[in-house]
Amino acid sequence: MASRKSGARILAIVALTAVVLVMAIMTAAPRALADDAEVQAKALKQVERELRQLRADRARDRKLIEKLEEKLDQVQSQDSQIRTTNQQLQTSTKQLQNSNQQLQTKTDEQLKQIQAEVAEGPSERQFAKAIGGYMGTHQFTLTGAAAGDFVYDRQNGQNTFALTFEPLMLYRPKDWLLFEGEFEAAFDPGSGASFDAPVATAQIFLNDYMEIVLGIFDQPFGDWFEDQGPLWVNRFITAPLPFGTAALVPPSDIGMQLRGGYQWGQLGQDADYTAWVANGPSYDSSLPQPTIGQELNGVNNITTNTNGKAYGARLRFYPFPLDSKLGRLELGASTYNGKWQNGLWLNAWDVDFAYRRGNLQTRGEYMEAYRQMPAGSGPDNRQGWYFQAGYFLTGLRLPFLSRDLNSYLSRLEPLVRYSGVNQRAVVAEEISTTPGLGFNGSPSIFAPHAREVALGLDYWIAPSIVWQTEVDFELPRAGGTLYSFNGESTPSASSVGATPNDRAILTQFAVGF
Amino acid sequence: MTGKHLAKILALAIAGLTLSVAAMAEESKTEKQQMFLDGARLWPVYCSQCHNARPGSEFSPAQWDIIMMHMRTQSNMPAKDARAIKEYLKGGR
Repeated sequence: MASRKSGARILAIVALTAVVLVMAIMTAAPRALADDAEVQAKALKQVERELRQLRADRARDRKLIEKLEEKLDQVQSQDSQIRTTNQQLQTSTKQLQNSNQQLQTKTDEQLKQIQAEVAEGPSERQFAKAIGGYMGTHQFTLTGAAAGDFVYDRQNGQNTFALTFEPLMLYRPKDWLLFEGEFEAAFDPGSGASFDAPVATAQIFLNDYMEIVLGIFDQPFGDWFEDQGPLWVNRFITAPLPFGTAALVPPSDIGMQLRGGYQWGQLGQDADYTAWVANGPSYDSSLPQPTIGQELNGVNNITTNTNGKAYGARLRFYPFPLDSKLGRLELGASTYNGKWQNGLWLNAWDVDFAYRRGNLQTRGEYMEAYRQMPAGSGPDNRQGWYFQAGYFLTGLRLPFLSRDLNSYLSRLEPLVRYSGVNQRAVVAEEISTTPGLGFNGSPSIFAPHAREVALGLDYWIAPSIVWQTEVDFELPRAGGTLYSFNGESTPSASSVGATPNDRAILTQFAVGF
Repeated sequence: MTGKHLAKILALAIAGLTLSVAAMAEESKTEKQQMFLDGARLWPVYCSQCHNARPGSEFSPAQWDIIMMHMRTQSNMPAKDARAIKEYLKGGR
């Protein structure tokens, strides 16, 4: 029963509590609901704010991320560029290293070469170039010749030593202009020396085929005056008769030349020409009047005696090609026409040849001269010629001679020459038999019909150093006239008749330098 | 004409010029060699026509320049032959 009572009490309590609670709830509920809505609205707003904040944060973060991505891209790009540059730099470094190595090798080689060259000294070419650079383009050279003679002539019984020094000065200011001057110092009979300037020219090279020569020059008539005059070039000591004391044309002239050469065929087939105008001839003015057989002056410095000029031309022709192995043949022809007095002419012509093949050399000329004389006198006509031949004994070996003797023998050149002059007369006052360099002094040379056989023997020490020996046989023919003034103004004439033969010997040491 | 074409043409022109200059230099060298050979053949023949041929060693190259002018006048030899002989005398020293 008690339990029933306690239970009821509990139920009552609970019920009471529940009633209280309901009543409390019933009274508190509207207010609580209102409060909850306000809280919820606040919370919602808070949430919204937070959401907005979150969205803003997100947007900012996204932008940041984008920026970061961009920066990352840039960094990656830069990194790529740097890598490429680095690679290029590495390649360049390698190339530079290679180049450096090559340069080092080359430098070492060049250094070694320079050291070797320095040790050896400069080559001639280098030295010449250096000297040439130092000396400049204007160039000067001295060449020429010198000779000493001993001469003996049987007929006049004279003998003498003689000496001549002929320096040739060449000056080239430009490669188209050359000045040339030859000065001759000769020791004539008596004391002291005589000086002459047989050649003084300016040579202007216009082109490959044409050249002008101005000044005093060797007469280009024939071949001898111009090409065979130098002491070491002439195979003999004396000149052939037509080019010696009784020259048919003046040995030198003052004027102007136009000359040149060209190849018309194969190599060696050439032709050349020389044309000139000059003061012309003049004759020995010490004679009272013009005379047949009168000697020509060496050169006519001033033409007051003629008021005219001389005109000359020479053509030469070389027919054989070099490869034909036929040797070198020269064929030439010359003319010379000059007034020696007003209205009076000296007309001359010449044909010449020269031939060289191996050890054989020959040359020869024939010429004629016609001198117009004043009224009342016959013509003064002359002819002259020479032929010479020589043979080098180079290569000759005689088995019975020693090697040394054979070597001396091979330097020898035996020679022979025949020359002659025909003229109608000679003048006694012009005969000079004093021997000198290149002149044997024989009176027989002054015969109107002089003939000479010369034998020579040249010993060649070097190409331009020679010891020459010559024996002359003078074999004049009878005939002709001898004019003699004997202090009078008019010469007396006498027939020459037979003239004795003569012999002379000359020996000469000549050096071309 | 575009810039590329112009550059190509310019490059070709430069290459052509370089080649032609090189060819000229080679030709000049060949010409000199030929002159030397001609001179070697002419020297003993032309000089000996009048006098013994003198060797190149007797004078310096600068002297040969002058002497050969003198000899060209003296002999009237063709200019190209004189040049060949000079080349030989100067080169064969």
